[in-house]
Amino acid sequence: MDPSEVEFLAEKEFVKIIPNFSLDKIYLIGGDLGPFNPGLSVDVPVWLALNLKQRQKCRILPPEWMDVEKLEEIRELERKEDTFTPAPSPYYMELTKLLLNHASDNIPKADEIRTLVKDIWDTRVAKLRLSADSFIRQQEAHAQLDNLTLMEINTIREFLLDSLNCMYKLRSNLQPGATKGQFADY
Amino acid sequence: MPCERKPMRYGHSEGHTEVCFDDTGRYIVTCGNDGDVRIWESLDDDDPKFITVGEKAYSLALKKGKLVTASSSNTVQIHTFPDGDPDGILTRFTTNATHVTFNRSGTRVAAGSSDFMVKVVEVSDSSQQKTLRGHEAPVLSVTFDPKDEYLASSSCDGSVVVWSIEQQTQVISWPLLQKTNDVSNATSLCRLAFQPAAGKFLAVPVETRVHLYERGSWDHVGSLSDELLTQPVNVAAWSPCGRFLAAGAIGGLLTIWDVNSRLVVERQKHEKGFTVCSLAWHPSGSQIAYTDTEGCLGLLDGLGTSGTGTSSTKAPAAKPKDYDDLFDEDDDRLMDEGLSDANSPVKKAAEDEDDDDFLIPSTGRVRNRGAILNDENSLDTGSLKLGQDKFGDDEDDDAGSSVAPATAQRPVYDGPVPTPPQKAFQPGATPAHLTHRFMMWNSVGIVRGYNDEQDNAIDVEFHDTAVHHAMHLTNSLGHTMADLSQEAVLLACPSTDDLASKLQCLHFSCWDTSKEWMVDLPQGEDVKALCLGQGWAAVATSALLLRLFSVGGVQREIFSLPGPVVCMAGHGEQLLLVYHRATGFDGEQALGIQLLQFGRRKRQLMNGEPLPLSPKSYLSWAGFTAEGTACYVDSNGLVRMLNRALGNTWTPVCNTRETCKSKSDHYWVVGAHENPQQLRCIPCKGSRYPPTLPRPAVAILPFKLPLCQTSTEKGQMEEQYWRSVLFHNHYSFLSSSGYEVDEAAQTQSDKEQQELLMKMFALSCKLEREFRCVELAELMTQNVVTLAIRYASRSRRMNLAQRLSEIALEKSTQLQEDEEPEDEPEFTSDRLTSGYRQSEPYNTRQNEEDDEEEQVEEEDGREMETEETKRRLNPFAKESGLPAKPSLTPVGRVGRSNPFKVPDSGKLTSSSGQPRASNILDNMRSSRKLAPLSGSAGKPSKGPVLKPLAPRTKAKAQSTLLQISSNKMPSKKTPEAAEPAADLQKQPDVVAPPAENTENKRPKTGFQLWLDENRKIIIANNPDLDETDVIKEAMGRFRTMSADERLSWTERAKGQSGDAADVKKRKRAENEVVESDESNARKKSSSLDPSSKLSAFAFSKN
Repeated sequence: MDPSEVEFLAEKEFVKIIPNFSLDKIYLIGGDLGPFNPGLSVDVPVWLALNLKQRQKCRILPPEWMDVEKLEEIRELERKEDTFTPAPSPYYMELTKLLLNHASDNIPKADEIRTLVKDIWDTRVAKLRLSADSFIRQQEAHAQLDNLTLMEINTIREFLLDSLNCMYKLRSNLQPGATKGQFADY
Repeated sequence: MPCERKPMRYGHSEGHTEVCFDDTGRYIVTCGNDGDVRIWESLDDDDPKFITVGEKAYSLALKKGKLVTASSSNTVQIHTFPDGDPDGILTRFTTNATHVTFNRSGTRVAAGSSDFMVKVVEVSDSSQQKTLRGHEAPVLSVTFDPKDEYLASSSCDGSVVVWSIEQQTQVISWPLLQKTNDVSNATSLCRLAFQPAAGKFLAVPVETRVHLYERGSWDHVGSLSDELLTQPVNVAAWSPCGRFLAAGAIGGLLTIWDVNSRLVVERQKHEKGFTVCSLAWHPSGSQIAYTDTEGCLGLLDGLGTSGTGTSSTKAPAAKPKDYDDLFDEDDDRLMDEGLSDANSPVKKAAEDEDDDDFLIPSTGRVRNRGAILNDENSLDTGSLKLGQDKFGDDEDDDAGSSVAPATAQRPVYDGPVPTPPQKAFQPGATPAHLTHRFMMWNSVGIVRGYNDEQDNAIDVEFHDTAVHHAMHLTNSLGHTMADLSQEAVLLACPSTDDLASKLQCLHFSCWDTSKEWMVDLPQGEDVKALCLGQGWAAVATSALLLRLFSVGGVQREIFSLPGPVVCMAGHGEQLLLVYHRATGFDGEQALGIQLLQFGRRKRQLMNGEPLPLSPKSYLSWAGFTAEGTACYVDSNGLVRMLNRALGNTWTPVCNTRETCKSKSDHYWVVGAHENPQQLRCIPCKGSRYPPTLPRPAVAILPFKLPLCQTSTEKGQMEEQYWRSVLFHNHYSFLSSSGYEVDEAAQTQSDKEQQELLMKMFALSCKLEREFRCVELAELMTQNVVTLAIRYASRSRRMNLAQRLSEIALEKSTQLQEDEEPEDEPEFTSDRLTSGYRQSEPYNTRQNEEDDEEEQVEEEDGREMETEETKRRLNPFAKESGLPAKPSLTPVGRVGRSNPFKVPDSGKLTSSSGQPRASNILDNMRSSRKLAPLSGSAGKPSKGPVLKPLAPRTKAKAQSTLLQISSNKMPSKKTPEAAEPAADLQKQPDVVAPPAENTENKRPKTGFQLWLDENRKIIIANNPDLDETDVIKEAMGRFRTMSADERLSWTERAKGQSGDAADVKKRKRAENEVVESDESNARKKSSSLDPSSKLSAFAFSKN
């Protein structure tokens, strides 16, 4: 999967906006949206929110977790724990990027949030690499990683699978006559 | 001693809060339950520096740049001041310290703790500690002797102890206090204090007095008391000069004594009556900062302690105070929950005051007054003597003894106390003293005002950018009031010394180029409130005038207000005006309300009725819902809405405080909508008003009527029903004032109400509450009553069903009476006759439908019922929207003459003599009999049966006349009509042969009717016949009928065939054709009725 595809999926997440126009309910395949009342918050998918924002038709209200204090807490927890902690949102990275790129004027302390989310991301990806590393080192057949987001899985999927394949090939070549019994030694 | 009480401000979260000044007096430093120490540059400092010292801060002391705090971590910490850097831990206890204090030089700190110990620590070297043991309960308070020799402490064990610091021993101990087990349970914090400069006295708060002990001899040399002090004194603090002693008490009373004269020189009451838990004098002695147990910070300013000869000026000062008490009455603060700050009486009386209206120099007269009052109030004579005793042995100065009686004579007036009237405000605006504030937040947009060093400006922003783009105005005139509508922005400023009060209007929707106008009010007249409506602007002024302008700036009507205005709101053509009707007492406001309409017919809808408010509350918002119903919110968060249907009464529709998480949270209402039911408001954490930044988000609260037992199903439904009724009143109002009404929504709401009623009906039925069922039925519309009847009869409540059928009849007559006058004049007599004629068939048709429905219902069981409710309700609800077509259906319902049906003995029962009571029962029987037949037919005849056959005009005529006929019609005809119809469905082919007409199916119906009536007789006569035989037999009998009757049926059938609707109908599916045939058949059958024969004749000639 491409990161842009993941981002596309993230755009289906709902976010609150305050429209500055008035519109009745709109009926879309994905469900009904609205009605839009000026000054009154309404839930819309991110793609619509960004579109409206770009046309200056709304203000976006940051999601609840997009708050410096909450993110700091999450960051500390993430650093403290060895395993993955539940992410603030299944699309936290994508949403942060989308919202901050397009609506940073509606999000208080946008820069701090950007840094914090990046920190969380880095911590988590470091953990992911570490676990991939130990996975390969110990030649495990399977491993369980909870609370990974789609984007995180995507960052490592291709590389991990390819390298596993390669290693498999290398190992098979290393011992051309190797039987299955010998493999079990690894 | 004059002083000014500044308004309290939020300092910390609720709980014990302490305050002190720094050495220079530049900063006020507070600590509180939130664990922060805040450093305020002044009382108005909105952004105090803060130092977090722990989870909670119990006490603080500040000297020489060292800030010592007792925090919840059981430590006493030092921070540097004002930087707030941690500077180590001074000492630790096994539990939290309760009070810390510095000695005079700032070298030592004493701390009392809940672990019963008092420690004295050197600030420079925390290892040098002295521990004072001996208390048997948590220590309440500690204080250093100014000469550093002694230390006094009070404890929950009830003792006040003086220690020798060096020897660490008790010098003396007095059992003065009540014993308790913990600081939190102590009645008083007993913050004692040594006199600073001279160090002559130790002040100990004991109950409602402050005892003075002489240093050294430790003799009790006197007490400071005040008869207004009725609750224990919490804290005592000496002025820096040592001459005055201030005490703060539980009820929020602040008292300052001159220690030499032992006289009260100042009394102040906490504006909300919260307990004062800390007091600090400004180093100059001109201010006292105090905090309460709710975390608020207050300040008394302008204390003239340094003044000379105070005793002589005070003597006369105390006397006018009495006078004040009697007539002005606003310094009896015990009951005063004042909204606006009332001035201290002393201040008013002071020599340099401007308002000498109150100053009565004749002391003798005042004394007389006091005496008279004392006579009336026997309690007071006692206190007078007490006072004299107390002060009699005072060795103090001359003034003291002469003034003492006067002070003691102070008449305590304990009747109702007038409430300071609430000031005028703009609904949707935050208070004017804020530098950044909302001047208006309403459904159109937001007007923000900035008034700080750099900028004095107004921002106008619209929720809907389609209205207008945002505006930024420089506020050079100093506007304080604003309103915003779809057309204009209205601004106003109060008058200044040289400038008159101005009204400015930015009429942005104006189509010419000058979009602004301005009006100066006459000299001495100030704008107090303003509002905008559609095409007009209104201004209420201090001259008790209401000035009306057109939105373009033309001056319009002007009229006098009945009282000082509180607020105004406009919507469309309506103006809501709230004013002070009278003086309120004991915290209540006495407000009146006027509701005016400026349409083509100008009129007053509400003429100065009292505005109901919650106890001890004031108005905080008033306005209109988006649909134009007046509504307001009081300071207790209760939202009330105008109920036009109940003679303009006010119904509480929401309590915003119920949804608040914390006591200090509020909802700031910005608007209300009736459809959908929304209360739009801004949640404010810990305040009444939202800050402008960060931009607050609007939340939506649902409405809920405060009915009883809303946790039960019954209560819930009742609440829903009445709420629905209330919130749909505006439809009738809107339509009556000529606005467009959303018919779909109205229909929806009607439907919802009827469904709720039906549910409640079913619930009451289940609970065996038949009387209640009938009561509910009274509220139902007529066709829902039909349903209810059916429900009742199915659940075997025949008595109930009977009563319901009476109600149904009543309703039908009523409906008919209502509709009669609506008949258009062109419906002349022949139409009417035709109406008569047609009405019967329709009735019968309706009967038949009912029967069919019942059949299906019997088959399908109860679940059908809800579906049916919907189907039946819909056409009715449309009635108002489409006069002709839908009315057919309800009228058909009205003609639910099922009750009249006598299935087996129609001919025997006389039409008029039929007792109504048996109606429904008969109906039930017949339907039950029909059930198996239709079951075998297997053709559910629901669906589009209800389509009107006749052209509209006819239907209209029928609609008005049907009811009459339904009542008058001989009941025996009904069954005749209905039953064959049902039969026919099954056996169209069997009945086909007897067709005598070119209209091949029409004659069938005539036969059918007849068959229906006579089937039972036939069956009774020949019980062994099977179905086909019955038909044959019936055919035979039918042929024997008189030609007359048959002919009339045929003619009817022919006439009917001319109907365009009928032709159309025949194109439909088979069963529908059958239906239409049925209806024709019924028409024929009804022509049997002699009374309608004529009309049938008339119709056929058409």
